Amino acid sequence: MSRAGRLPDALERGRAASNLADPVEVVIRASGVQKVYGRSSSEEGGVAALRGVDVVVASCEWTAIVGPSGCGKSTLLNVLAGIDAPTAGTVELLGNDLGRLDERARARLRLLRVGFVFQRFHLLPVLTAAENIELPMAEAGVARRDRRQRSRELLDFVGLGGRTDHRPPQLSGGEQQRVAIARAVANQPDVVFADEPTGELDSRTSAQILELFSSLNAHGTTLLTVTHDPEIARRARRVIEMSDGRIVSDGRPAR
Amino acid sequence: MFIALLGVLLLPLPVDPGILVERRLAEELPASVGDTVIARVLGGTAERAFVVAGIFERAPDPNRIARNDYEVRFHLPDLEQMLPDHDRVDRFAIELRSGADPEATARWVESLAFGTQVYESVTLADRSSTTFRVVSRFHDAIGLVTLLASGIFLLCLMVIRVDGRRPDVRTMRLIGVSRRTIVSAVVAEAVLIAAVASVLGVAMGAVLTFGVNTYFGAYYDTTLRFAILSPRIVVVAASLGVALGLIAGGLAAVRIVRVPPQRLGER
Ligand SMILES: Nc1ncnc2c1ncn2[C@@H]1O[C@H](COP(=O)(O)OP(=O)(O)OP(=O)(O)O)[C@@H](O)[C@H]1O
Ligand SMILES: [Mg+2]
Repeated sequence: MSRAGRLPDALERGRAASNLADPVEVVIRASGVQKVYGRSSSEEGGVAALRGVDVVVASCEWTAIVGPSGCGKSTLLNVLAGIDAPTAGTVELLGNDLGRLDERARARLRLLRVGFVFQRFHLLPVLTAAENIELPMAEAGVARRDRRQRSRELLDFVGLGGRTDHRPPQLSGGEQQRVAIARAVANQPDVVFADEPTGELDSRTSAQILELFSSLNAHGTTLLTVTHDPEIARRARRVIEMSDGRIVSDGRPAR
Repeated sequence: MFIALLGVLLLPLPVDPGILVERRLAEELPASVGDTVIARVLGGTAERAFVVAGIFERAPDPNRIARNDYEVRFHLPDLEQMLPDHDRVDRFAIELRSGADPEATARWVESLAFGTQVYESVTLADRSSTTFRVVSRFHDAIGLVTLLASGIFLLCLMVIRVDGRRPDVRTMRLIGVSRRTIVSAVVAEAVLIAAVASVLGVAMGAVLTFGVNTYFGAYYDTTLRFAILSPRIVVVAASLGVALGLIAGGLAAVRIVRVPPQRLGER
């Protein structure tokens, strides 16, 4: 059972460990973002996944991106997170113009200030639950003892305190996703990107994951979630609806 | 001073002076210390009886390993008497006490009879090992080809291993793990594989060396060593192996980190 609620002290969004820049009110600022797959930027032959997207995400917001399959949700998420480069337009993430950063700097930004949760969990199967959580901390240079302690705290936080040494194949889908969430917040990111985090889970397990996200958001983590899950869309404070590479509506969900 | 002569015929019979018989021949006859044998020089007619004064082990010599001959040692006067031309021989060997000057001895011996040439044993050994040096060069070539082939094999292995982990590499890159970390991990793994393989290879080499030496030692009844695993060989093989691991791991790693992470999901 998930006992989401109390976030370990080390994870409080107190900015204590954020090593880059000052707190930002605007987490994401994207303007005129276009993305064409295939044929480089030419209209014919390529797939236009994003056709001019403007969006601003403020600190502590929980935004859900919804829309029919193939409308460009994942593409937008990747572009906003600095995983993929837009064909046109600019993206500013946590005060950094992504177009001006090289891959190394973008990787560093993702490592230290951004968390990721994927639909298929994407844990490393050879590592234990604790080691998976410690991986981004190790890369960030956190000392071994601190990593240990923080990964324990995080596993407690996601309700898997007893599964420290279990490997992903020994965990259920929901449990793996909880480990993935713990990994996403290991370096105390300012923002967490999640692409259909409940896409592979049943409704009860999804509810536990949702609790975790609520708790993270309540503690000050900005969330951007792509989802088909109406429950997530209902919980998010802001819902962006996309269609055919464009944002067609943006606002608070009707409760 | 003893002189060695090959190819003698020996028969057991009683009478005097002593000779030394090579162990293998003694076993073959059989003859033991105190037995009397009759010896005749090939091509000569004089026969003489000798008492076996001792049995000796022949010094291992790769040049003579395939020739299945035996060795006996006479006192020089006895041998001289049996030779058709008594004091004329084609060649003989002189063993010096340690400390003796080989140069001076050589000059002295050469001065005794016109046309005599004296060579030091090192020179002779050097001359008679040309065959072995050619064989050794062949071995080097075979070793080199083997290393090259195993290097390519290791590279393929690493590429396949790394390729099998594309999703993991993708995940790591997405969450911000640097390319350098990934390359180091892959290279470390390749070096580890190469190092473990080197240890196994050395162990296998040791076992094979032991097997070859045991088998051929028994076959030719000699203490000659046919295969040698020297520390130098171990060091060279291990360091080459690790170097190949570095190269293979590096290539496999660079190959995968050059792909942008979002493309690593594609097959
Ligand atoms: N790597 C790619 N190469 C070519 N086309 C792509 C690539 N990735 C996505 N697309 C195309 O871009 C469009 C948007 O894809 P995207 O994955 O962003 O959709 P989505 O809204 O996330 O869909 P879903 O809800 O099914 O996940 C689709 O038409 C898709 O086929
Ligand atoms: Mg998608």
